Amino acid sequence: MKKCLVLFICLFSSSLVQAHHSFSAEFDIEQPIALTGKVTRMQWSNPHGWIYIDVENEDGFVTNWALETSAANNLIRRGWRRDDLPEGTTISVEGFRARNGTATANIRGITLEDGRRLFSGNADELRN
Amino acid sequence: MRIHYFIIQGLALLTLATQAIAQDIPRTESGKPFFQGLWQAQTRAAYNLEGHAARHDMPAGHSVVEGRSIPYLPEALAARNTNYANRKALDPLSKCYLPGPTRIMAMPWPFQIFQTDEHVAITFEWTQVYRLIYAAGQEPYYPGFEHFMGDSRGHWEGDTFVVEIRDLNDRTWLDAAGNFFANSTVITERYTMEDADTILYQATFEDPSLYSQPWSMSFPLIRQKNMPRLLEFQCQAEVEEANGDFERVDNLWYPAPIPSDNVPFSYSGEEDPALPEVPASISRQEYGVPDISGYFMADHGGANYGLEKRENLAMFPPARGVVINPNNRVLPYQKWAREEMVERREAWRGYDDPTAHCFVAGIPRSHYVPSPFFILQPPGYVVILHERMSYRVIPLDGREHLPNHIRLWMGDAVGHWENDSLIVESSNYNGKAWLNELGDVISHAQTVRESYTPVSDSQIIYRATVSDPIVYYRPWTIEMALNKQDEELLEVACLEDNNDLQHLKDVRDEHRASLGQEN
Repeated sequence: MKKCLVLFICLFSSSLVQAHHSFSAEFDIEQPIALTGKVTRMQWSNPHGWIYIDVENEDGFVTNWALETSAANNLIRRGWRRDDLPEGTTISVEGFRARNGTATANIRGITLEDGRRLFSGNADELRN
Repeated sequence: MRIHYFIIQGLALLTLATQAIAQDIPRTESGKPFFQGLWQAQTRAAYNLEGHAARHDMPAGHSVVEGRSIPYLPEALAARNTNYANRKALDPLSKCYLPGPTRIMAMPWPFQIFQTDEHVAITFEWTQVYRLIYAAGQEPYYPGFEHFMGDSRGHWEGDTFVVEIRDLNDRTWLDAAGNFFANSTVITERYTMEDADTILYQATFEDPSLYSQPWSMSFPLIRQKNMPRLLEFQCQAEVEEANGDFERVDNLWYPAPIPSDNVPFSYSGEEDPALPEVPASISRQEYGVPDISGYFMADHGGANYGLEKRENLAMFPPARGVVINPNNRVLPYQKWAREEMVERREAWRGYDDPTAHCFVAGIPRSHYVPSPFFILQPPGYVVILHERMSYRVIPLDGREHLPNHIRLWMGDAVGHWENDSLIVESSNYNGKAWLNELGDVISHAQTVRESYTPVSDSQIIYRATVSDPIVYYRPWTIEMALNKQDEELLEVACLEDNNDLQHLKDVRDEHRASLGQEN
């Protein structure tokens, strides 16, 4: 699969192809968010996968964020596997926060510490 | 000596009798036993595989396990006993989760088997679950990817169809009594037709981490002779309707009347463009009709975010516009219904979309939800298996529709071939579906005429003409290409991991609270 050339395409290919609910009903485009934290768990599931990360704020307070990804079926068809994001990995994400104010976001991109991006393109891009 | 002679003679007669019975079963053209038909297990195994006395929540039953008891290792036996003691709270089926491949065979709900040389599909009335068994040596595309219903690969051993199930997850039970397996368990099923109306179903479980030895169970499947078709039981939808989490829509659900101030519905208007030509070179089934079987994905153009052409709208992606009739490509809404569609774009209405609850998508949305689907062409039927765990059974025998009062999420479809296009007429909808996430509206009064026209061996042109005199003032037609791909269906277990619904409910509840309304 060709690498995503335009961020917009990546956004909607990653998150909405198997959408089962209205994105705008759950997440607020007026609340973009960027987070960096350590992976505590990945829920490899449909209709969406979920990544949980611990994010520490300036006061040292840690919040566990739930980050909604594309469906597991989408990820697997693009070559991704459950083991590709081990517990403890530090990742940075961009996305939009849930309207209900919980520590939940729909994410549109994952960046590893070395700058590589995850889950927005083909798995071979990372493994090569 | 004399006794010995009679035993030998008796065995010979028994063998002849068995052969006579075996020859009396229906068979495919290639000589395999033909399992196709409506069936239901005759057993109490869904309550407890082992023999058990009656309880308040289960009738008594004899053991279906060879040797009477499952040979659990001590730790596993303790886990089973804990499951049993807490079964009301812990049974995954009480939450309407996918039941697993062997439990659903034993449940007191009918199912239908469809058979081709390459596949056996089993469609279950319970929550539109299906199993697709690959029967011609196909290797799995995604080995190691766990499913609630497992990955099933079948082969023939004489007249017995043998199915090996792997890649199971450990989130289902074997029965309501807490008997269980693990994601390391391998199940081997054996389907043997004892006579034309009885299949002996056997399943063997192997897992050294749970059991001291492999063990087997068996029970008969009985042909349902007087059942014209499967109906529907949507487990979670029924629960949520009963407890108020999914609210009735009086003006759209059956039996809503046509509003008295509607613009009168008229069939006059532009004609659909002619269907495309089917090339003479198209591949065909043995019985002559075009071969439209296989894995397909719609070139849906964002139809799940709007049937009309629309640029990016806030957070809805753009929609290409799939309406081809009327010519202006605008849906012929009644004024009140368009207002309803516009309101559904509001965040607080997202909770009302049935697919957000993991309910089935209805017709025509199941084609562009967007999710792939698999078309089978067994004798007498076209069967469409949607990856989001729903299906359509389309009989080709010219039968009449169901009685008017029987209403279904997926409607009642009958089909026929016309100039190499599959034509499907459907009715008896319940009006609970939405046409997409944007909120395009449909009611129980919808009738749909669909055409599947193969224009090459890798593409079908799909059309759906919808007539709904409650929501629209004339029929309209959408069109999109369905592209065949070299792929396999995966499983979408939806409500089992649906973390979104509570968020959507929070947004809806907050809105209602702001208006001073109760939730």
